[in-house]
Amino acid sequence: MIKVNNLKRDFLQGQQRTQVLKGIDLAIEEGEFVAIMGPSGSGKSTLLQLLAGLDVPTDGDIQINNKFLNKMNEKERTIFRRKKLGFVFQNYQLLSTLTVEENIAFPLHADGKLTNEKSKMINALIHSVGLEGLNHKRANLLSGGQQQRVAIARALVNNPTVLLADEPTGNLDRAMAEEILGLFLKFHRQNKQTIVMVTHDIFAAGFADRIILFRDGVIDKVISRKDSDYAKYLANFMA
Amino acid sequence: MSVKHGILTLLFQQQHHGYELKLELDSLLGINGKINPGQIYTTLDRLIRDNLVSSPGSDDQERKLYEIEPKGKDELEKWLLEPVPYYTSKEGFFFKWNCARKIHFEQEKNMLEQQREMIIKEVMELTNLKTELLLQGDENKYLLITGMLLHLEADLNWIVQVENRNR
Ligand SMILES: Nc1ncnc2c1ncn2[C@@H]1O[C@H](COP(=O)(O)OP(=O)(O)OP(=O)(O)O)[C@@H](O)[C@H]1O
Ligand SMILES: [Mg+2]
Repeated sequence: MIKVNNLKRDFLQGQQRTQVLKGIDLAIEEGEFVAIMGPSGSGKSTLLQLLAGLDVPTDGDIQINNKFLNKMNEKERTIFRRKKLGFVFQNYQLLSTLTVEENIAFPLHADGKLTNEKSKMINALIHSVGLEGLNHKRANLLSGGQQQRVAIARALVNNPTVLLADEPTGNLDRAMAEEILGLFLKFHRQNKQTIVMVTHDIFAAGFADRIILFRDGVIDKVISRKDSDYAKYLANFMA
Repeated sequence: MSVKHGILTLLFQQQHHGYELKLELDSLLGINGKINPGQIYTTLDRLIRDNLVSSPGSDDQERKLYEIEPKGKDELEKWLLEPVPYYTSKEGFFFKWNCARKIHFEQEKNMLEQQREMIIKEVMELTNLKTELLLQGDENKYLLITGMLLHLEADLNWIVQVENRNR
């Protein structure tokens, strides 16, 4: 379970202090699939980075499975992240000199050598994201869409309890996006994985149980298909 | 497609005789429109019976003229503002939108917004159904729904494009 309390993040630029997250309260159940939508610059990536412990809040608490991320030191956060979290960066963040396979395997090295089982997992993921035959290609030689798919496989390789994905289908065509979302759904249902996915795409957001509408550093509304007026809300929000 | 509302659209602008209505209706229907004249006259009879349309007389060539009544205008506006459900969508909404343009309907924006809301609702419901079918492994139904969603995506993109150009 992810619990966020009065979460704030300011950035200093010169003398100027801008509040990017203005006090977010949020609870996501274990095994829930949540989408976050909102205009560009509204703070979605900032929130996701905080949830991953890749950044520290200015104020407020973040709890994941009853552990306070904001009370850990950097080393503890790193270990926690490796064990529990998968993260797909908006800009992929692959290691450019490593191959597809090496990038995907990267999170596994922390617990020692690659076992047979892990190698199988890597190959299965390469197949699932449609990168067969590219195992040994260097990351900096891949197209944007291919890099995005490597980033997705890397995030899933340690079968994380929580997957945080920032626009994971942003650079993919509709058919490929559909396969990736199907893969997420499988992990979500089979392994009871919690997913938090930032997206601007209503067709991707529809996969989620709930949609968090974000505006200007605050949560505008949380909607689900069970609400009677959700379509009106979404339509207005997207206008 | 609704001959009734097509006729109301044309009469909203001005009086017409029957043959004019046929020609204009064909063009309102777009590239493959062709309507049989009999259908137009039976529809006109019904419109007159229901007080949506009346006949003020004939033109100088003895052709019967038709004009719209206030009740007919109300009916047209009501129809224009009713979003079109997906199964009749596409042509249904394109036709309706064409009618709205024809009479410079001042609530076009409202109409587009409502249609967008209807599409979004369909998208969310179909996607939900789709994810269940995918997990159950019902490949055929899953693919059919994917196809419907692609149509909805096109319709949604089209509405956004119209809205942007109207800005
Ligand atoms: N490290 C930073 N230093 C200064 N400002 C930052 C930093 N990171 C983010 N910001 C600012 O915070 C705001 C929110 O950025 P964020 O990346 O969270 O937006 P977003 O909702 O993910 O947008 P997009 O949809 O374009 O990805 C932006 O105005 C951005 O310039
Ligand atoms: Mg972002």
